[in-house]
Amino acid sequence: MTLLRRLPAYIAIWAWVAFTVAAILWVVMSAFKSKREVLRSGLKPPAELRWENFETAWTIGRLGEFFSNSVVIVCLSVLLILVVSTPAAYVLSRAKFRGRESLTNLFVIGMGIPIPMLFIPIFGILAWLRLSDSLTGLTIVFVAISIPFTVYLLTGFFASLPSELEAASLLDGCSDFQTFRYVMLPMAMPGVATAAILNFIWLWNEYQLSLVILNSPENRTLPLGLYSLQNAMQYTSDWPGLFAGVTIVIIPTILVYAVLSEKMISGMTMGAVK
Amino acid sequence: MIGKRLIGLFVTPALAIYLCFFLIPTGFTFYFSLFDWSGFGTEAQFIGFDNYRRLWNDPTFWLSFRNTLALLFVGGFFVFVLAFLYTILINSGIWGKKLFRLVFFLPNVVSVVALSAMWAYIYNPRYGLLNTSLKAVGLDEMGRTLWTSPDNIFWAMLAALVWVFTGFFLILLLAGVDKIPPDMYEAADLEGANLWHKFWYITVPMIWDVMTISFVIWIINAVKMFEFPFAFGFLQVPQQLYTLGIYLYIMGFGQRDPIYQLGYATAIGVVMLVLAFSLIVLVRRLMRRDQLEF
Repeated sequence: MTLLRRLPAYIAIWAWVAFTVAAILWVVMSAFKSKREVLRSGLKPPAELRWENFETAWTIGRLGEFFSNSVVIVCLSVLLILVVSTPAAYVLSRAKFRGRESLTNLFVIGMGIPIPMLFIPIFGILAWLRLSDSLTGLTIVFVAISIPFTVYLLTGFFASLPSELEAASLLDGCSDFQTFRYVMLPMAMPGVATAAILNFIWLWNEYQLSLVILNSPENRTLPLGLYSLQNAMQYTSDWPGLFAGVTIVIIPTILVYAVLSEKMISGMTMGAVK
Repeated sequence: MIGKRLIGLFVTPALAIYLCFFLIPTGFTFYFSLFDWSGFGTEAQFIGFDNYRRLWNDPTFWLSFRNTLALLFVGGFFVFVLAFLYTILINSGIWGKKLFRLVFFLPNVVSVVALSAMWAYIYNPRYGLLNTSLKAVGLDEMGRTLWTSPDNIFWAMLAALVWVFTGFFLILLLAGVDKIPPDMYEAADLEGANLWHKFWYITVPMIWDVMTISFVIWIINAVKMFEFPFAFGFLQVPQQLYTLGIYLYIMGFGQRDPIYQLGYATAIGVVMLVLAFSLIVLVRRLMRRDQLEF
């Protein structure tokens, strides 16, 4: 009886879930098909696995080069974001000084700024610093735009930690730096890990500022490479090659998500739900 | 106690990078928007509010503005109706809640360029998933629709965006609902309340703050929308897909040929910021109420 009453709910949910899973699976499956097969076979699985599509995307589409660009730039950015944001968030949530709230608000306000506003000024500044069209320049910009959310997330996390341990370590004669390094930082590690995962996924997929800042083909990140592959596809109609590229780009984030989704989702919702 | 030196040492690096490469450049936008400036390295000429006067008379700007508003309100309507609907359904005590949550959020971890390639293929008039499925169930007439024709392309893009963002806000709303003490619903069950009563008299008031934050996040995302419609438009983004962000980019950098109307483009940026902040203030004011005690 209850099952029957819940049937509409199940149908509605499964319709959405089936569509999402089918659409993504279908893209991955198409990456293994031949050009003709992609257009004819619809939802059927590939007749044979054509790995050469991946080879085309990886070498002729140059996604191999872009993959290493993306890995380097994203990992470096995430590391730098954490190195500068974690201490700042600690001080903003734990220290007592005048103007602390205004300073926190100054950081948080960055979350409301529409990124396209930054296109022209940041291009000008990087050109002035002779960092335009460079991965170094893009890394700095990635760090700058990620600081607001990261500081916000970690400030909330530090504020939720108990203060007794902090007091105890000070009584034991630890300096304020030692208290941070050996007591508070280890306790904040789950929060830091969440920040790392979220920033990794966002920066891996980031493409608007990359589009503005990077110009030469050898500097491209993966989303930019995929974008040019997508545009070239209009002339070659090599759908399987494009889908192989799509698969290469989405596999890393989907893997991270599959393993760490609970952590990610709790991080996303922590700020919104108090 | 955290000493003054440590405070300075800990805050300065983050603050310096954030100010120099994010906040101050954004501030420059206001200044640049008062200049006629036609390329990096060329002399900019002060022209007061002329750029804004030009925007007022620019039909393409108004088209982008209308598209952004359509995205904000029509898109927002569907995103939140669906997110609420699925929040209720997933929370109605069915099996597999965590799995469903996982799949609904999935599009949000995938690159937008990858999503746009996928949707371009779904909408492909002859081989796409959509038209093939429509024909398979006998809707031959509908199965011949050109989903990416000039008349349809904006709504086709919007449908894909709704699919992405519904999952995002579903996560937020579900987390809010999880915080509601279950005995409130049990009491309502004893009183004989139906699903709608429980939603309207318990769920909505209890997740009011989460709703406010969700609306604010949606406003920010909708006003700055650039990546998905841009990638969805392929090489030459059709004007039907222009949002404020895309028009800013086109005016600043052009597509195939450079345009470099930098002063004019930054004026569009200022409009975006003003739009986002006034809507946020409005929503916060409309949604303000006394703190609920329970």
